[in-house]
Amino acid sequence: MLTVDALDVFIQASHILRSVSLDVGPREVVCLVGRNGAGKTTTLRTIMGYLRPHAGRVEFRGQPIHGRRTHEIAQLGVGWAPEDSGIFADLTVAENIEIATWTRSGGRPAAERIALAYRVFPMLRRYAARKGPELSGGERKMLSIARALALDPEMLLLDEPFEGLSPAIIPAVSAGIAAITELGHSILIAESNIHHVPESTRRLYVIERGTIVFAGAAQDAWRDPSLTRIIGSAA
Amino acid sequence: MTAHVVNLVVSGVFHASILFLVSAGLQVVFGVQKIFNLACGSFYALGAYVGVSAVAWYAEAGGPPALFILPLAIAGVAAGALGVVVERGLLRFVYDRDETFQLLLTFAVVLMMEDAIRMTWGTSPRSTAGLYLTYGGVHVLGTTVPVYNLIVIGASLAIAVLIGWLLTHTAFGCIIRASADNREMAEALGVDMRRLYAKVFTLGTALGTLGGALVIPATAAMSEMGIELIVEAFAVVVIGGLGSMRGAFVGALIVGVLRSIAISVYPELEMLLIYLIVIAVLVLRPRGLFGGAPA
Ligand SMILES: Nc1ncnc2c1ncn2[C@@H]1O[C@H](COP(=O)(O)OP(=O)(O)OP(=O)(O)O)[C@@H](O)[C@H]1O
Ligand SMILES: [Mg+2]
Repeated sequence: MLTVDALDVFIQASHILRSVSLDVGPREVVCLVGRNGAGKTTTLRTIMGYLRPHAGRVEFRGQPIHGRRTHEIAQLGVGWAPEDSGIFADLTVAENIEIATWTRSGGRPAAERIALAYRVFPMLRRYAARKGPELSGGERKMLSIARALALDPEMLLLDEPFEGLSPAIIPAVSAGIAAITELGHSILIAESNIHHVPESTRRLYVIERGTIVFAGAAQDAWRDPSLTRIIGSAA
Repeated sequence: MTAHVVNLVVSGVFHASILFLVSAGLQVVFGVQKIFNLACGSFYALGAYVGVSAVAWYAEAGGPPALFILPLAIAGVAAGALGVVVERGLLRFVYDRDETFQLLLTFAVVLMMEDAIRMTWGTSPRSTAGLYLTYGGVHVLGTTVPVYNLIVIGASLAIAVLIGWLLTHTAFGCIIRASADNREMAEALGVDMRRLYAKVFTLGTALGTLGGALVIPATAAMSEMGIELIVEAFAVVVIGGLGSMRGAFVGALIVGVLRSIAISVYPELEMLLIYLIVIAVLVLRPRGLFGGAPA
């Protein structure tokens, strides 16, 4: 579904990503784990076309997408829920979800896509008429993911969906992500806390200072002592 | 006395209607593209000249005088097509540049257009002699109010309602509000910013050119009229709040009526009075009356 091959990314003069490679198969949930500043967001933003790689390739469903503009990548079917949620403050919850059906038509009918977004995060239905600033951090995260889902994408990129959330709301977000997994989307999740990695994650990449230091099954990562120092231990 | 007040209010609100159109164009462009477009004044002047020519052509072709407002309005809106040229040809190269640089570029457009207008239409004022009174006047509280003014006030109100509806009840409006708030996120949802910018800038330009066309039966077109209007539109958006449509509406009313009062009482102090209010707003409510409010 998504193949990232030997990406080198510079931001101004700093070399942020060094030969980052990863891939996400159809219907697969993959986590990119790393500490603060490791390069997770930079990787996802490069996939989304906000940053141009200095070298390397990004392919989505067999087509190269590095060098494409962000809206084209979205139109191809990549949904993006950023770290800060990116909720449109001036739009209601309902409009935030609906907008994704206007900007990318085709595929399933709009009503179905909207209904699906609410089914995955039922809590949002109650707030449909509220605007961005009236939502809690957790509600914003859910809305951001629901909106990406309403785009009807094949693949979702979620940047730290659990960051800064109160323990009370984490189960609701987890349940939503689990529901999306069931729907058969490919998902790439960036995460700094290993405890938030969803159970459905089969494969894990660990990134450290812009380099992938581990790629493999989640259980193997927890057994590797040099990695538990980076990502925390499972216990 | 009442007759005097009625005259003041009508001419003030008439001017406010025109100011609103131009300022609304300025606001929608600023809201989405984050560019303070000084050239909105030039678009206004262009609309005025194109309007004069359209009406002259219409009269020559023998069109019924009572319908002159149609070719005038159509020409005003059509002149908005220049917006695409300016946006695609110039502005798009400076979106990533410093704001100062963008401001200088739009000012360059003002100066270039002033010359282009002089070259095309000459330096002497042009007017649509006589047409203003085609629609006659109505007697209100002891004075005669030109019907044309009332038509323009009504049209401007209708446009204000239409813009409000467009922004709040249509997909295009929703995309505009979303992009004004978070451009990167809108792109990640599939919004082609290049196309949106071209559309928004053209809409903003057409509002300015329409304003210029509609004002012209009541006054003469002069090449400096653009700069004069920028100064007033600037006051409107500072008072109303940058980027806010409601701000443009209320700001235009305040500036329009104030100007009309000042002109009748102390013509020398017209700008001074308006800018005293601007300074008061800047000091007391730096973001304007509706600053930070929705587009
Ligand atoms: N605009 C920028 N200018 C300069 N350096 C940047 C910029 N954005 C990111 N960086 C640097 O790139 C590195 C990777 O940042 P990135 O945001 O990708 O990390 P992250 O893994 O997402 O971290 P976090 O968990 O804090 O979100 C960091 O060292 C950061 O300081
Ligand atoms: Mg990050």
